[in-house]
Amino acid sequence: MIRRAQPWLGTLVDIAVEGTSSQDAVTAAFAEIARLHRLMSFHDGASDIAHINRAAPGDVVRVDAATWNVLRLAGEIADLSGGAFDIACAPWLVDRQILPAPEHVQPLALTSAAVFSLDDDGQVRKCGAGWIDVGGIAKGYIVDAAVAVLEAAGVPGGCVNAGGDMRAFGVSRVPVAVRAPGAPGRAARHIMLCGEALATSGSYFSARAHRGGVVSALVDARDGRPLVSAASASVCARRCAVADALTKVVLATGDCAHPLLAAFGATAFLI
Amino acid sequence: MRYVPLIVLGACAVTAPVFATQYLSPEQAQKLMFPEADAFRAVPLSLDAAQMRQVEQVGGLPARSAHWRVVGAYKGEALLGYMVLDDVVGKFELISYAVGINPDASVRQVEILTYRESHGSEIRLPAWRRQFVGKSAKSGGLRIGGGIDNISGATLSCTHVTDGVRRIAAMAQVALVK
Repeated sequence: MIRRAQPWLGTLVDIAVEGTSSQDAVTAAFAEIARLHRLMSFHDGASDIAHINRAAPGDVVRVDAATWNVLRLAGEIADLSGGAFDIACAPWLVDRQILPAPEHVQPLALTSAAVFSLDDDGQVRKCGAGWIDVGGIAKGYIVDAAVAVLEAAGVPGGCVNAGGDMRAFGVSRVPVAVRAPGAPGRAARHIMLCGEALATSGSYFSARAHRGGVVSALVDARDGRPLVSAASASVCARRCAVADALTKVVLATGDCAHPLLAAFGATAFLI
Repeated sequence: MRYVPLIVLGACAVTAPVFATQYLSPEQAQKLMFPEADAFRAVPLSLDAAQMRQVEQVGGLPARSAHWRVVGAYKGEALLGYMVLDDVVGKFELISYAVGINPDASVRQVEILTYRESHGSEIRLPAWRRQFVGKSAKSGGLRIGGGIDNISGATLSCTHVTDGVRRIAAMAQVALVK
């Protein structure tokens, strides 16, 4: 087995592949992760996301097909979740100093439908002032993209894990420990992952005091309420992008039977 | 009552969390970073006080260490670049990593060598840190009690690795560019 890790996406991305695979395939997967990281970073002023955030209402921004796909899936999940997940929640995160401000004048947090719309051919039309952050879905999307690179290279099986958002593919059966949110160094549950993705969200690493309250990197996008519950939400789905985004829906609604899960063929549990 | 402390200690030993993974040995990392190299040679590097101050200015971080573990990669007599080995101790984890540096001091590649996570206070203790000295992924011994490899949970930030890479890039700019 080949196993490597590099720091991307603000965490460690770990790739494990079956023994007969080549280092070249893993290197190519990391190159794709690096490319997508640069496209979708909120922090990098040259990213597609930064271009969209700085665009004025009415501007059309040309983005990479990958960015466009993430925005489309994010919009779909925002609609179907009644706004519990929405990438236009970035102004709240900037206000809480979880993200750096892209510009001096801070817009109000809006819905993503009010901030941008998607035209064909990888074009994004800015509709209203607002900032988007794909941090709640891009990690999963990038895991899927890395798996696609490995599969295309003929790797028979393995696992890509971006700081807890992971996907097992091919012949590999991957044992996974899910952290206990109250004691993140312990495993609360053990799962065997086979041909599917698992993502877990919780605020136990990002929660901190801010202006007399407690904030975290997670928000309920319907009202900006910080998600600081003691629980973590885990979602199993075919695609890691879906699992990643749906953990926020489950955490915001507390509903492990949310209709959105069935719509995507996903299952969830809270710990 | 005097037995109570012993019982508590026993319980800690059993439930002590270990999330650990070994990735690459330094030798494997240098081959991945410089596949065309035919020789690797240790480059002794100690920064003087002026260089330490320069590293702080360039990197915007405390220079932390005067001594660095650096390997030069060569093809014949030609220098292809360097690999710098470092460890960071985070809030919860100890990470050993290697940074490939091009001859112009730009970062070529970053590879994690070993990762070990503990949520106890022991990570701050020198004795706990000493147990890693001289160990590598190849020599083993980092997998104490068997690590759990795949963990799903809230994302653990790796800011300190990013900071470490920035410090090494600054160090390379100051001390490795000829």
